[in-house]
Amino acid sequence: MDKKIILIVDDDIANRLVLRALIKAAGFDYIEAENGREAVDIALSSPVDIILLDVMMPVMDGYEAAELIKRDSSTFIPIIFLTAITDEKLLAKCIESGGDDFLTKPYNHILLRAKITSMLRISELYKKIDNQNNELNAHNLRVQQEISLAKNLFENVLSHEMHQGGTGLRYSMSSMSIFNGDMILAARNVTDGLNILISDFTGHGLSAAIGSLPVADIFYAMTRKGFSFADTLSEINNKLKLLLPTEMFMAAAFISVDRDNNVVTVVNAGLPNIYMYRNCGIIKEFKSTNIPLGIISTRNDSFDSEMESLEYGDRLFAATDGVMEAENEQGELFGSHRIVNNILAVKNAEDIFDTVLGDCLEYSQGVEQSDDITLLELCHKKDVEYGIAEQDALPSINPAQWSMQFSLDINSLRTFDIIPYIMQGVNGLQSIPNGRSTIQTILTEIFSNALDHGVLGLDSRIKNTPDGYMNFYQEKTHRLETYCEGNIQIILSHELREMGGGVLTIHIVDSGAGFDFSKIDYSIENNRSYSGRGLTLIRHLCKESHFIGKGNAFIAVYEWE
Amino acid sequence: MGVSINLSKDDKVLTIKISGRFDFSMHNDFRNAYKDNNLSNGVYVIDLKDTEYMDSSALGMLLLLKEYSSTNSSKIKIVHASAEIREILDIASFDKLFLID
Repeated sequence: MDKKIILIVDDDIANRLVLRALIKAAGFDYIEAENGREAVDIALSSPVDIILLDVMMPVMDGYEAAELIKRDSSTFIPIIFLTAITDEKLLAKCIESGGDDFLTKPYNHILLRAKITSMLRISELYKKIDNQNNELNAHNLRVQQEISLAKNLFENVLSHEMHQGGTGLRYSMSSMSIFNGDMILAARNVTDGLNILISDFTGHGLSAAIGSLPVADIFYAMTRKGFSFADTLSEINNKLKLLLPTEMFMAAAFISVDRDNNVVTVVNAGLPNIYMYRNCGIIKEFKSTNIPLGIISTRNDSFDSEMESLEYGDRLFAATDGVMEAENEQGELFGSHRIVNNILAVKNAEDIFDTVLGDCLEYSQGVEQSDDITLLELCHKKDVEYGIAEQDALPSINPAQWSMQFSLDINSLRTFDIIPYIMQGVNGLQSIPNGRSTIQTILTEIFSNALDHGVLGLDSRIKNTPDGYMNFYQEKTHRLETYCEGNIQIILSHELREMGGGVLTIHIVDSGAGFDFSKIDYSIENNRSYSGRGLTLIRHLCKESHFIGKGNAFIAVYEWE
Repeated sequence: MGVSINLSKDDKVLTIKISGRFDFSMHNDFRNAYKDNNLSNGVYVIDLKDTEYMDSSALGMLLLLKEYSSTNSSKIKIVHASAEIREILDIASFDKLFLID
């Protein structure tokens, strides 16, 4: 270790000589200064470990020097005043001006050495703390940089396709909530409604958020490809089961609005109740009936879902448990009853969201929240507008001639949604400008017609009431589970046109009994009822479309330029 | 406040009682409670009689115990949950994973 350097400050040469001898004998180095001014200059410019400071000196006295050194030095330099003064008030002034100790002249040499040793020990401690502080600051800075980098990354991934406003979706998340594992994902589904995932990972901090990236990835990709919520949730669940440590999981709710049938489907897996509001009242609470995601392995039929028919103006309210568990200064929780009271108390439905959010923030003001506050509202609007985040650019593939065929037996029909796979096949073979969603719509309609009315023999008149769709859906689920026969064949063939573009012909045959299709009414009147819109829609989108044979086969021809 | 344990004389029933807030601060105590006492074909009884509050990290700890208990063929029983705590367990559908009395 280097020799410690002691700065001796005294205007009296004799005093300095005595101190010099003493310090040398004790094994230290020394520097000398004749007055306070010199002492300040030396202390601030060269390394000094301890200062022995006289009080009465010309140019600048010891008090002032001590004050300046303590104010301007970036490190801790202990100052021991050496003085002939014995007045208690003046001795106290030594300490007030920045001195750490004092010794009255004539001083005891042993005592002085002891004081130097003790002061050096304190200054070592200071240095240690200082180093640790610097390390901590550097570390903090690094963490800050990493957080802002990660935040950027998360925002890029998660803000993708987040439609707000025009789609009836409104939400609020605290600024760092992404890092605490709260997440909202929203994407347009094939019916022009939204698929929404609102979720909350266990734990807090960045580690709670690691699962959100793969979840977002799966959610967007599978929604875009037209997979059902059950497939999407099952995929997310199994990915999280694989990825997350045992004690971590994701509480989530999946909300899907079907704008063709005006029905909302909700799967609640571990989130607080989701409230459905209509005409100044709460008409439905979607309770959690599923185990949160990432805990057990699931299949696509393991999720309990609930359906409810929608009227324009209906609103859904969902929140993560951060809202319920927001604490006030008395340590009481905000609780779900306050949300309900707020929803019921507000006169203008448009104001509910802001009122609930405002009340929660006000309630918890001045208390550091342990969880994040994420609130979401989805209003079922008559007209929706989406942003520009539309069809993803696909690589341009030259039109070609091809065909593909799918055969599905009852087991496949029961367990498997074929449409996304067909769409993947079509997209891989052929780039059809602006035709993707149209083809998907045509396929979906034709396929569900063949399955519902052909294979399962369901009567669409069941749908002729506002609640009919739900009954229809229940009956469909029941028949799918119990039937042991049935199949559907789909053949897609594509040909080039001489003037550019191409023709896609979809041919579908089901194992059903067929029906007399000569009496179908495609008129606009029919389009107003609860069923039959599918056929009208297909006729509108296709160049040609009609039943053939005994009514169990259908042909649709789509042309593109 | 904290975790107290009681092992039955036949080494078959380990009762882990949680007092106060069952949250991440209990992590080590809770884990030690079941790792320090070997069970085989036994029952872990999680007594929540004096538990005031339970958060999602506590649910995570129960999942860890569930995983651990499958290695020594033991069962888990959650008892004496208050209405508030029962609600938290219900929201997470933990009745499908654990025996809750």
